[in-house]
Amino acid sequence: MRHMPLGLYVSRCNGQVDKVVDVEAAAAAAGERAEVVRVVDDLFEPAVADRIVRDIGDAELDSVVLAGNSADHYLKSLSGDHLRSRLVFAGLNPNKIVTANILEQVALAHPDDPAGATNKARSIINVACIRAELGEFREGIESEPKRAVLVLGATTEGIVSAQRLLQLGFSVIVADRGAGTSRVAETDSMRATVSYVMGHPAAEFVDHASLVDGQGWVGDYEITLASAAGTATYRVGGMLLADPTDAEWVEELRGHFKVDVDDEGRARSIDPRTHPAETVDPGIMVVPAYAEEGNVKDKIAAADSAAIALVLKLSKPVSVHYRDTSDVDETLCGGCSTCVRTCAFGACYIADDGLSHVDVRRCRGCGKCVVSCPVGARDIVNSPHDYLIEAVRSLAEAETEQEKVIGFLCGGCGYPAGDNAADVVASTGKTYPASFLPVRIPCGGRLDALYVLEAFKSGFDGVAVFRCREGHCHNLIGNVDMDRRINLLRTVLRSRGLDDGRLRVVDISPFEGERFVEQVNDLYESLAGSTSQEKGGPQ
Amino acid sequence: MSKTRLAHVVLGGCEGCYVSLLDAHEDIVALLESVELVYSPLVEETEMQKCDVVLVEGAVTTAHDVEALREARQKADTLVGVGSCAVLGGIGGLRNLYGRDEVISAVYGDEERPGDGLPGLTKRVRPLSDIVKVDINVPGCAPKTETLLSALDAAIAGEEWEMPRRNMCEECKREKKALLQHSAEFVSDSVYGLMELDQIDPERCFLEQGLICMGPMTREGCGARCTEANVPCRGCQGPSRLDFEQGAKMVDALAAVLPAGGIMYLDDLIGTGYRFSMPVSVFPSVVSEGDDEDV
Repeated sequence: MRHMPLGLYVSRCNGQVDKVVDVEAAAAAAGERAEVVRVVDDLFEPAVADRIVRDIGDAELDSVVLAGNSADHYLKSLSGDHLRSRLVFAGLNPNKIVTANILEQVALAHPDDPAGATNKARSIINVACIRAELGEFREGIESEPKRAVLVLGATTEGIVSAQRLLQLGFSVIVADRGAGTSRVAETDSMRATVSYVMGHPAAEFVDHASLVDGQGWVGDYEITLASAAGTATYRVGGMLLADPTDAEWVEELRGHFKVDVDDEGRARSIDPRTHPAETVDPGIMVVPAYAEEGNVKDKIAAADSAAIALVLKLSKPVSVHYRDTSDVDETLCGGCSTCVRTCAFGACYIADDGLSHVDVRRCRGCGKCVVSCPVGARDIVNSPHDYLIEAVRSLAEAETEQEKVIGFLCGGCGYPAGDNAADVVASTGKTYPASFLPVRIPCGGRLDALYVLEAFKSGFDGVAVFRCREGHCHNLIGNVDMDRRINLLRTVLRSRGLDDGRLRVVDISPFEGERFVEQVNDLYESLAGSTSQEKGGPQ
Repeated sequence: MSKTRLAHVVLGGCEGCYVSLLDAHEDIVALLESVELVYSPLVEETEMQKCDVVLVEGAVTTAHDVEALREARQKADTLVGVGSCAVLGGIGGLRNLYGRDEVISAVYGDEERPGDGLPGLTKRVRPLSDIVKVDINVPGCAPKTETLLSALDAAIAGEEWEMPRRNMCEECKREKKALLQHSAEFVSDSVYGLMELDQIDPERCFLEQGLICMGPMTREGCGARCTEANVPCRGCQGPSRLDFEQGAKMVDALAAVLPAGGIMYLDDLIGTGYRFSMPVSVFPSVVSEGDDEDV
């Protein structure tokens, strides 16, 4: 294996981390693996980014671990996004930039337990270093963002955003489930805007439409709409959900793209407080639903905000998509097709060579096919099998005072809920044990039965899985498939004399930090009730 | 050129692998021209001899097996593990689902187990590789004759021999239809026992007929003899990668393909998933038997 120089940057997060965690001790977790180790006040200060960029050049770093904020922070904060972009520009592969969450799920979660928090931070940094080492280079697919937008819903918001986009030189397709155009045209105050859009040569209207197929990614989607006039396929750079009350569009979109939904089946943004329009798919915007019916002023503001968010994404000269799956290992795949039937998006197929391949334009990176593959012929680039097995083993070695629990947190709901638990700890003072050690997985469907077995084998007292509530999985049924597997796995555990009560599955929404804390504590209580005789692993 | 000194040791197994070798018929004669059989259940020699190649079949199930295996390793340059018992622990490995005492009392009831001269049972059934270094592994219950001969040829020539790595579906000629289609539905409405169906389509993938077939979870190399005889794969070749245990991967692979509820109510889910490879699974035995060095 060739030497892969690693840089570790541990952030004090302006006093929030080092108030609890001994950052120097935590940074020592990198050991000899890291070429460069620095403790900084704030990763997002321009001077720190400059420093990292210089290190990349001087020490020829090929991967960095950024210990501080949650990985999700980088999706939501402009400064986080900017730091990542700078590191990529400096020559790092995006899959080699790894975050270690020692803020939300360590320092803020365990304010009263400095020793426990420091050990936990060490373990999490160690796992991030393993991930940096084992993550492969991701191949980027470059394209020029299409300056065309599909607006779903000829609502007031839809027409206003269409008008903005047309003025900025984008072409627009406005699709409506009913006779949307005639309906909107009746609105007095909108008449001028409607005539502008309807008369524009770059605007097209599709009434009585439904979305029957979709593929691609931000900058380059391919969407097929069905209507009375038949079906037609459009290539667009982005989509704008302009009918926030219509769950049907959302339901159809979810069959092809990652969309987070609330209890009413409406599309939800990544954070209603800070990013009201952006969804987990960077090319799909949702008009925030806070405007009351009849309040045209707010609707226009919401449409503006969604349109500008999309314009920012599509105004880059080049957009790069990084594929989520590795190529199939031809020496392993026997063409059994379990992956084909498992994929909810129809991305896996058996080609003429008899092997399983992935249509990258349809793949959403959930990892279900990887788990279903009985021979390990394919992997998920950002959470490869070898990494997850190593993560389980190395977390098991963490020094803890209490029983050790590993938490597999799905990226859709479990992980953000874990981040949000930090707010609950701050506001209520309720904490949970620092011996709860989280591992982020892209989706509940990425949870391989092998990881649970390995966790018990390595000495964990409990295994918790936090995944999306039913009907809320970004990957449609990743959570359902996980449950099916877990239920069968319980039989396996019991056959070895293991108490399957030590394996807990929790359904949760991204903002349910309180439930997160409660459920972790509840699991600890039930573990304290079971006798050591029932425990597995080395005795 | 001097003949290769070949030995053959049988541990806890059924000697079916030996029969597979004898199935080579006249090829055996050719083989015997290049080897000298220095130790085997078939020759009079009662002491293990120094040799170039030793074939070991059977799993490690008694204290005697441990000794015999260590001696074989010591006296042979190349050790070949033959058959699923040797490589994976085999079907006898299912006894690991019970504690040693439980197994003995199940067999002998209230009577005391005869002690004189009988070696004690190991805590659990183990594959050879748990005890010694194995140079060539040939799984299968029993391994195909040609496969066995090719591994033996390699051992005699001092060459490496690798097991094929893909799953069994590669070799199986059955037709897949539903499995190739993107759908949220299972490929069959229910899961059936083999005897429950009046008819089994001999051309179509077993999974699509609602029958549990271990093919996806099983290493190729058997020639798909069972599925050709209209019997679903039982998984005798073990997993393609030894770190991918068959039982857990059965759960992973089939839960989204067949109704999980139906799989759950199989007569013997564990026996199906771990029939040949229990001793190489993550938990190779019930946990009360421990995982210490004491075999």
